[in-house]
Amino acid sequence: MSGENVVYPFSAIVGQDDMKDALMANIVLPSIGGVLIRGEKGTAKSTSVRALADLLPEREVIKGCIFRCSPSDTRNLCESCREILAGNGHPETVPARMRVVELPLCATEDRVAGTLDIEHAITKGTRKFEPGVLASANGNILYVDEVNLLDDHIVDLLLDAAAMGVNFVEREGISYSHPARFLLVGTMNPEEGDLRPQLLDRFGLVVDVEGERDTAKRSEIVKRRLAFEPDPPAFLKQYEAEQQKIRSRILAARQLVRTMEPDDHLIDTAVKVSLSLGVDGHRSDLTLVKTSLALAALDGRSTVGKEHILKAAGLALPHRMRRRPFEESRVDIGTIHSLIEECYS
Amino acid sequence: MTPRFPFSAITGQQQAKKALLCALASDEIRSILITGNCGTGKSVLARSLETIVPGKRLLNLPLNVTNDRLLGSIDMDAAVSTGVIRHSPGILEQANRHILYADDINLMDEGAVTSLLNTAETGEVICERESISHRARTQFLLVATMNPAEGELSPAQMDRFDLCIGLDSIGEEEMRGAIIRNQLVFEREPETLSRHYGEQESALTKTVAAARDRLPYVSIPEGHAGLIASVCLELGVAGQRGDLAAARAAKALAALDSRDSVEFDDIKLATLFALEHRRREIPDAPPPVPPQNKPPKQDNEREQEKNPPEPDQSNPPQEDPDTQPETNQERDPEKKKNLPPPLRDQIFAIGSPFEVIRYLNESSQKTTRKQKSGRRTRVISSDASGHYRSFRFPGKNRHDIAIDATLRAAAPYQCSREKHGLAISVRKTDLREKVREKKTAHTILFLVDASGSMGARKRMVAVKGAIVSLLTDAYQKRDRVGMMVFRGSGSRLLLPPTKSPDLAIQLLQALPTGGMTPLTQGLADAFELLTRGRFASSDENRSIVILSDGRVNVSWKDTRSPYEELRDLARNVSESDIRFVVVDTEEGFPRLGRARALAGDLGATYFRLEALCSRHLAGAVQGVVYQGGRTS
Repeated sequence: MSGENVVYPFSAIVGQDDMKDALMANIVLPSIGGVLIRGEKGTAKSTSVRALADLLPEREVIKGCIFRCSPSDTRNLCESCREILAGNGHPETVPARMRVVELPLCATEDRVAGTLDIEHAITKGTRKFEPGVLASANGNILYVDEVNLLDDHIVDLLLDAAAMGVNFVEREGISYSHPARFLLVGTMNPEEGDLRPQLLDRFGLVVDVEGERDTAKRSEIVKRRLAFEPDPPAFLKQYEAEQQKIRSRILAARQLVRTMEPDDHLIDTAVKVSLSLGVDGHRSDLTLVKTSLALAALDGRSTVGKEHILKAAGLALPHRMRRRPFEESRVDIGTIHSLIEECYS
Repeated sequence: MTPRFPFSAITGQQQAKKALLCALASDEIRSILITGNCGTGKSVLARSLETIVPGKRLLNLPLNVTNDRLLGSIDMDAAVSTGVIRHSPGILEQANRHILYADDINLMDEGAVTSLLNTAETGEVICERESISHRARTQFLLVATMNPAEGELSPAQMDRFDLCIGLDSIGEEEMRGAIIRNQLVFEREPETLSRHYGEQESALTKTVAAARDRLPYVSIPEGHAGLIASVCLELGVAGQRGDLAAARAAKALAALDSRDSVEFDDIKLATLFALEHRRREIPDAPPPVPPQNKPPKQDNEREQEKNPPEPDQSNPPQEDPDTQPETNQERDPEKKKNLPPPLRDQIFAIGSPFEVIRYLNESSQKTTRKQKSGRRTRVISSDASGHYRSFRFPGKNRHDIAIDATLRAAAPYQCSREKHGLAISVRKTDLREKVREKKTAHTILFLVDASGSMGARKRMVAVKGAIVSLLTDAYQKRDRVGMMVFRGSGSRLLLPPTKSPDLAIQLLQALPTGGMTPLTQGLADAFELLTRGRFASSDENRSIVILSDGRVNVSWKDTRSPYEELRDLARNVSESDIRFVVVDTEEGFPRLGRARALAGDLGATYFRLEALCSRHLAGAVQGVVYQGGRTS
């Protein structure tokens, strides 16, 4: 761990349990579809996301592949890996840790989607694809700070890629496609303007964070931060045991969730809840089921309990409550909670 | 091969599936549009097509496709290595005999949409670019999706689609449950789902193949052909494309059902697929809440109706003599019979929304292209920001080089140039510069009169309806909208300018009406908001849309008459680069024309409230066709 790149440890973040749960649930089951964290400045939004890096699991990827294709995930392979696998079936693999890839606000379209490799074109006279941010994001976390300020045409790009899991490039003389499955994590300060509903709907979970109100906790935050700054490595060492605990918890949950099947009760409840929201789409039903599964797995349980679905509803539904842009919603989270209580009584 | 969700595994959406099968069965049906809200499965449905037509591929058309990839361009590799000028086909040509899939077509560049629809219709791609002249036949099925909440296509573009089908929202618990189960299985083990539906898929494949064989022999009986024409007339469909598409769809439906003759039910369904998106105004549709025609009284509103507030009587404004007569005039017989009102705030419902006419005066912006829903006004960006749209010969400062275009321009000369060890030699004459396009962010601030006078005769119901329509319109253009109201002693910023105006609707719902009319104060505050602080960027187009009857009865600063003060302020602010729109909410008779005068002082575009919704498209048009389709 080099001195300059040490991030504040996840386990040392005081409070903000919803945000932590939402992030961890997504690592356990990435198909939940990402997290949007809304909150004022200085509520540990970015810190939490960057802190994730230290907890992320490793996976085996095909050696030399710039998209880090995993040989076990045959559905999402780039062209060359598909050929390799079709050929001998046993390519060499290396372990790669899931990373947090940041998308800066000022990024241009060609750098996000990828573009013509200029050097290659000049020296070799042929066209070659130069991968962009979406390529690095494949299999990783794509983090957009201040996502509400992102340019519209970049948002369209992200939505396209997120919808298909593939980045299709048909521009600047380049025709190329590669897998782009990423976990979209955005943070925003709602005071700076709201998010386009279409983009909002793409986020599986939304967490609203507030500054800590408890004085004891507030001073604890300051105390830890002050302890971290002068000597980050020493601070990290202090929390290493905690960090390891979370890592194993995530790993175990990832194993467990693969074996879990949602029972009829859970699905029926999710459907009832979605219908009460009056949503047309099916993302709310699906996200609610998946988040419940992931939260149960994080608790080491192989069946979903009422507490899991209650918690999941709080994360997966608030941003879907007022659906079509100009219709008021008649339900609040309290109504939903009592509906769930009813279903699980 | 990425696994696809099987077509047969899609729950519900019977009509949409039928329409897609029609398109697969008939080569004459070249384009189909699927509309639906977020997460209703538009993309899943479109992409599943590949599973039932073996041999056809689904080509993805990304939103930001550039013309060189769409229409084709010079084959650079061949030009550099052999000096041969050859055309390298674009995606329109590559899609020949396949399916071309355009997601969110309403967000795509207008030029690309036009090329796409033209090519789909004519079956010919024409490329006249970069020293290449090329024509080729190409026949593909265009499958496009759009979410109407993100903006509509223009009627002309809609008309180019042979078929259009909206996805149903599914309200049955069992079906929703089935959808989730299938999706979860698909995400985990796609092979299992494909296996499970394998038989159904191959049965569908056979049905489509058999229908394609049968189609040439299918005919429409004389009587039924006339039926299509009469439905077209009834729906006010302009042009012949609708008739043709409906006839083709009806034949395909018969062929899918293994019949040689089109039946009445085929026509019913076919007209639904082919005409729904082409219909125009229906002459006998109910008029859209014009303020004069009051909607029938609701029981809960009747209470309020009995006591309409009359601020002019109970709150005489401090007016100077010259406005006095007008106030007297206002007390016409109709109003006199009303009891003196108790001064209390009222909350009015939101009137029904409507389609908004182009109320922002666009001709004043010379650099902008045609403004359309779904896209903000676009301007050619002068710096290196924005979306790379095309290229041109460079001007004085060559800082934003379009490498791809430059290389293509240089490619033909490579065999004859000295290359100094590089593969390509580029000369000054080859240089091309990027033309970038960016959307000018419109900031629109709605300044709404919520004083007592707006409550009279429930004017606020219509006004709220108008605001919702304007906000919806603004959202679809990705404008930044804000809302400020004035009543009582001052103004209040209900919604700071934002791109997501959802909140505004809720606030509007609860917006009380009542009190005095500090219009001058409101105007001053609105102006200040847009000229100071973070909304003041001169880069943006800023507009203030005033919804008011132009009356003012509270002084702003000094002791002059409120009207003089308003006029002076209006003339002052009219010199700024902010554009003003005045929507006159005055109704009844006689009219004082105060808002028109204000518009004159501001140099504003002026509308009467009812004129705003003059282009209203009847909402319940589905009646004629849709109900017929449903009951079958």
